[in-house]
Amino acid sequence: MHEMGIASSVIESVLAEAARHPGARVTKVGLRIGELAGIDQASLTFCFEALVKETELESAILAIEDAGCDELDLAYLELEE
Amino acid sequence: MERVPLERKVLSENDRIAGELRERFAQRGILVLNFISSPGSGKTALLERTLEGFPQGTRVAVLTGDIQTDNDAQRLSRYGFPVRQITTAGACHLDARMIERGLEGWDLDQLDLLLIENVGNLVCPTSYDLGERAKIVVLSVTEGEDKPLKYPGIFHKAELMILNKIDLLPYVPFKPELARECANRVHPGIQILEVSCTTGAGLDAWQAWLERRRRAA
Repeated sequence: MHEMGIASSVIESVLAEAARHPGARVTKVGLRIGELAGIDQASLTFCFEALVKETELESAILAIEDAGCDELDLAYLELEE
Repeated sequence: MERVPLERKVLSENDRIAGELRERFAQRGILVLNFISSPGSGKTALLERTLEGFPQGTRVAVLTGDIQTDNDAQRLSRYGFPVRQITTAGACHLDARMIERGLEGWDLDQLDLLLIENVGNLVCPTSYDLGERAKIVVLSVTEGEDKPLKYPGIFHKAELMILNKIDLLPYVPFKPELARECANRVHPGIQILEVSCTTGAGLDAWQAWLERRRRAA
């Protein structure tokens, strides 16, 4: 239900990190989500894709790994020059 | 391709603000409780009965969250304590920044107890730390006994489960023992109190719980 808010928080962090790598393009965003985090992965992906449309993150894909408990972590970014 | 490890919480900004709030509350010895339940379980009724039981001069304040309307703040302000409505305009939960803004202008030195009524929802409020000392989940006997199994996140995180509307037990098929068993499966040893905000049954045990926690703060 709050996947839109979570997607915005993810994008905010990704943009902040991307700003430290000028000239690079974000190709992948790695998340780890626990089963108790209350996040629907399909819905989060949908929100993420809707929010990045026509932005510098448009070509970034969201890679979600299952994790334990209520983990909701931004694990890594992949960048291309 | 370069991989940059980040290893940070998605909600790290919320958690940062919640951490600052928790520090402000701790410095002043304020007990802060975050009430979470489905819509209609009786959070507002529980807070009404709680405020009603306090002597005038009790250093308590309430923040109450809803998507729309200030109906709950109107209900709760009748008892003479400071109450503020937070309307989230669509968001299904309160977050730490809303609490920070909701407290603006209040002198925290005048408080011992802050009660936060979250938006009625068992899912999203669970993820957002508000700087509280404890989460309290309210379940009512007109719901299913297996709610703890369906929404394990909040029952896992809550320190106390209040089972409300027990005056209706003769009229509904709800089995309190089964609900207790389900809650214990996701949170072994969770504290459980049974109350009726309509008849007042069990509220003395709730007030005693609150008093113990206030002394510990």
